[in-house]
Amino acid sequence: MKIVMCVKETPSTTAEKRFGADMRLERRKEDAIINPFDEYSIEEGLRQQEKHGGETIVLSMGPATATDTIRKALAMGADRGVLVSDPALAGSDAVATARVLAAALQKIGFDLVLFGSAAADAYGGIVPSAVAEFLGLPLLSFATKLDEDGTTAKIERQAEVGYNTVETQTPALVSVMKSINEPRYPSMKGIMQSKKKTIDTMSLADLGIESGTVGAGASGEKALSAEKITTQRKGEIYMGNDGAAERVVAFLVEQKVL
Amino acid sequence: MSSSLYFTDEHEMFRQTVRRFVEQEINPHVDEWEEAGTWPAHELFAKMGPLGFLGLTYPEEYGGQGLDFWYTAVFCEELARINCGGVPMGITVHTDMCTPALAHFGSHELKQQFLEPSIRGDMVGCIGVTEPDAGSDVAAIRTRAVADGDDWVITGRKLYITNGTQADWVCLLARTSDEGSYRGMSLIMVPTKTPGFSVSRKLRKLGNWSSDTAELVLDEVRVPRANTIGQEGMGFMLQMQQFQRERLVGALLSCAQMERIVRDTIAYTRERQTFGQPLINNQVIHFRLCELLTEIELLRQLNYHCVRMMVAGQDVTREASMAKLKAGRLVREVVDSCLQYYGGMGYMEETPISRAFRDSRLLSIGAGADEIMLGIIAKIEGILPGKQKSR
Ligand SMILES: Cc1cc2nc3c(=O)[nH]c(=O)nc-3n(C[C@H](O)[C@H](O)[C@H](O)COP(=O)(O)OP(=O)(O)OC[C@H]3O[C@@H](n4cnc5c(N)ncnc54)[C@H](O)[C@@H]3O)c2cc1C
Repeated sequence: MKIVMCVKETPSTTAEKRFGADMRLERRKEDAIINPFDEYSIEEGLRQQEKHGGETIVLSMGPATATDTIRKALAMGADRGVLVSDPALAGSDAVATARVLAAALQKIGFDLVLFGSAAADAYGGIVPSAVAEFLGLPLLSFATKLDEDGTTAKIERQAEVGYNTVETQTPALVSVMKSINEPRYPSMKGIMQSKKKTIDTMSLADLGIESGTVGAGASGEKALSAEKITTQRKGEIYMGNDGAAERVVAFLVEQKVL
Repeated sequence: MSSSLYFTDEHEMFRQTVRRFVEQEINPHVDEWEEAGTWPAHELFAKMGPLGFLGLTYPEEYGGQGLDFWYTAVFCEELARINCGGVPMGITVHTDMCTPALAHFGSHELKQQFLEPSIRGDMVGCIGVTEPDAGSDVAAIRTRAVADGDDWVITGRKLYITNGTQADWVCLLARTSDEGSYRGMSLIMVPTKTPGFSVSRKLRKLGNWSSDTAELVLDEVRVPRANTIGQEGMGFMLQMQQFQRERLVGALLSCAQMERIVRDTIAYTRERQTFGQPLINNQVIHFRLCELLTEIELLRQLNYHCVRMMVAGQDVTREASMAKLKAGRLVREVVDSCLQYYGGMGYMEETPISRAFRDSRLLSIGAGADEIMLGIIAKIEGILPGKQKSR
């Protein structure tokens, strides 16, 4: 079985976010981490491999330096990595990204593709479904449990109340929720072995994609502005004997606490 | 990935693994362990072993990683993020204070029996040197191992033993002949379940509450003579060598702890307002904190120099003793100054600075007191009177 885990390099969730003039997030190398949501899909891929054997491949689209992030996934235990990197990709939106990932997936070949449920930088959460659309394959989304037997994939899909059980033939795509597993730490051995694992780099030309169909120019999604969310805590203090208690009660009723 | 001059990408990746481990598996429990006066060494080691934490520099043949000492430096720097002094001490006693002699001079059989399971995380170790009447003066120990055929029969007491209540084995320093002073001692591996071995009491301490410290009693404990590490009679020398690593690890750990303490204090004094401005705006405070950072940086450079010397296979006795001495003294200055800037809050038991203040006092005493470090340095410098004559 061939399992591909799609991984994005994102800025650390605690890093200060800065935007360029084009309103795109400035990505600093020192803040780069594996998208935290993807650690669950990497872990799930490794667990499926432990059960059924086969190969695990980490696929990422990003700058040339994203090999460091792929290396971290390899340190967790994945067999090899593929990085799609091309200057023309800069500024690609979710759909353009999905177009590229779909082409790379076709080139790599797979039985199962795993995604995190979203990326911690943009929180779009639409790449998995867009990739499925480009590939014309089913996506089992928001899995909290995955069973795979080589011909079918069955998940428990998180619903508002409880879960739905959804099943499909493989090859298929699955996006996973955080509750699906507990990602492992890269062991010292894993870290040392990751040095010896291969990471292949593919360009747009390798994938046969016209540079005009991806990148900022071809992206329908444009960021217009970005603002910091400021939450203001305003406390109100009622004092004195003249009706303070009644005002507190009225406030609580108004807030539907009482 | 790494912008550092000292660490490679692999070191940095390892750093991330340890950091996450500390955040997720250790820090959430520290308050509870401090309260309990002990920490679950077996439970934690069972998780750390498979990650390769417990045998970073030890041979792969025994499950170690066979890596350079810079990995130990990274390990210490990240253990310094643990919110107390006791747990990192318990861990490093196991990884770098009771195992080096075994790893370097133990027989193949001894290493299979003790080192391998300790690296795997199945066994917890401790180091038994200090006794009620022998601390600084290691040569005064009285615990005696008497040969009986192929066995040692050991009787004596060991005091202030870290991990003592939960260890599976002790690397024990005992007299094995009647030659006096530092001659005639051996390091012997003693399983704690051997009949005659007992933990007489768990000790209550000023700080490092989460670390269990015990008094051990050996009453005619019988172990094979083959449990001796290296040559019989070489125990004192082997322990003095083992101490080098203990001291360097102490200095590395403490240096990173100090930096964290100062940075936390910076954060606190930025927020805290007095007389209409943040505390840190007072020059007397920000100058003092910068002075401390400068001292810490100097210590770090000495530490890193020691690591380089270790990696190059050089003798670090002089430099590691200096680093340990400096660390013990500097940390007392750091916690004292920082606690001052927290005011009454710093005096409250539950604040991290208050815990750091209590925990840090040990460093000038344990692993050889400051004065012992000075004695070692004086001896190497050839300015220690008397001692040269008597030995
Ligand atoms: C929390 C804790 C954990 C410990 N863990 C371990 C452990 O795991 N294994 C172990 O074997 N030991 C352990 N120790 C023991 C520790 O190493 C000793 O306490 C230390 O070596 C000092 O010995 P002592 O307490 O007997 O003090 P003493 O030897 O009585 O010395 C008292 C003081 O006198 C001064 N002094 C001593 N000699 C001289 C001198 N020649 N010149 C000038 N001044 C001098 C020093 O300031 C010293 O602090 C631990 C101690 C503590 C407190």
